[in-house]
Amino acid sequence: RREHPWEPGPQTPPPCLSLPASCRAKMATEGLHENETLASLKGEAESLKGRLEEERAKLHDVELHQVAERVEALGQFVMKTRRTLKGHGNKVLCMDWCKDKRRIVSSSQDGKVIVWDSFTTNKEHAVTMPCTWVMACAYAPSGCAIACGGLDNKCSVYPLTFDKNENMAAKKKSVAMHTNYLSACSFTNSDMQILTASGDGTCALWDVESGQLLQSFHGHGADVLCLDLAPSETGNTFVSGGCDKKAMVWDMRSGQCIQSFETHESDINSVRYYPSGDAFASGSDDATCRLYDLRADREVAIYSKESIIFGASSVDFSLSGRLLFGGYNDYTINVWDVLKGSRVSILFGHENRVSTLRVSPDGTAFCSGSWDHTLRIWA
Amino acid sequence: ERSQPRHVPLPEPGCCCCCCCCGVPGQGVSRAAVSEPPRRCAGRENRMKEIMSNNNTTNISQARKAVEQLKMEAYMDRIKVSKAAADLLAYCDAHIGEDPLIIPVPASENPFREKKFFCTIL
Repeated sequence: RREHPWEPGPQTPPPCLSLPASCRAKMATEGLHENETLASLKGEAESLKGRLEEERAKLHDVELHQVAERVEALGQFVMKTRRTLKGHGNKVLCMDWCKDKRRIVSSSQDGKVIVWDSFTTNKEHAVTMPCTWVMACAYAPSGCAIACGGLDNKCSVYPLTFDKNENMAAKKKSVAMHTNYLSACSFTNSDMQILTASGDGTCALWDVESGQLLQSFHGHGADVLCLDLAPSETGNTFVSGGCDKKAMVWDMRSGQCIQSFETHESDINSVRYYPSGDAFASGSDDATCRLYDLRADREVAIYSKESIIFGASSVDFSLSGRLLFGGYNDYTINVWDVLKGSRVSILFGHENRVSTLRVSPDGTAFCSGSWDHTLRIWA
Repeated sequence: ERSQPRHVPLPEPGCCCCCCCCGVPGQGVSRAAVSEPPRRCAGRENRMKEIMSNNNTTNISQARKAVEQLKMEAYMDRIKVSKAAADLLAYCDAHIGEDPLIIPVPASENPFREKKFFCTIL
């Protein structure tokens, strides 16, 4: 550990020699050390926060968009809706791609979870959850199961079967239990573990087979709304965003928060890692998307325009990380040049809020889901 | 093709959207609980925490944990933004050629762009 120049100098005499026994006893029961009070700890926290900002500022020698001036500008974009997936009876809240780059799972306010073949737009599976507002759904890496949850406070796993006689709901397995709504879920690198985020302010890692809680992540001061796992090459971390305006990066093994960022001015609805794993983007109700670099430990770009006044609900990167797609509450999708900070395109089509957006695993397309009950595939 | 949203009024910006539980109206029009996703206002959460933490020991241990967390965050190793930015640029540069949404692959190779019709045997 480095020297802390601000720490107090020579040690004060040991407390036991300076206080009467009655005082020492009282302080011991209250867990207080000499000179340590709630006020002094809060003061120390404030001065540390200042220190954190100073240390970050020392390395802020240039802006990302300045460094990116030498990069070639992107050409014109022709991105259109190539498929429209119709079938949900109410607002689409969440979607996820299967690793086969073709299948999609989506969930909606009316409790329906549907698996689609995005090439043909056919529905392959459908299940009705016992709750409304299914805000989270995810495809298992094997493609053989899906996970979902919402107002039931749980995350349940459904194996996918092609046996027409089998009732999908019958094989349901309850894995995660929170004390408030489930806002996001994701399988880790295998079908065996699920990471969840909840309105109860925590994230948690669960073993699918036993339903056992493997690790919990405490630190957000309000509902956690989103999470994203680091690309597997970069190790066991994930990022979460919440109603406390903070984005937090966690060590999955220890449960500890490694870094936290608080520059948004409102709820963070979506977080997504940059493909290299060295940065992540966020979308917020403050109508901006932002890029945070993990090694510089600071925000390095803001994607905003005066004309954009509605919240960003969902963000994702293109394969190279050069484009950031943001779905917004004003029904549009804005496409940003990640490096230069400028908007390169705006996509219209949805007739209500865009609530969810994911780029396909091979980057050939992205899918958006909306409160207009549909999903659209864009390419 | 640009289609404007049809006759659906745009939501008020900055509306507090939870409010089915705390009953606090947002900056704009207050909405029926059913039309908005459930979400607690951060403000209410912090007030609740203040009311609940009358326990001195919990306060002290929470404050200590916050100080330890901040020490760890303040003293982590960081790199300069110029270096971080250069690395982001380098990654983009190395992969942009394979990014089908930037350098479009021939329509025949992108299953969404090609005009093939998929048939299923019923």
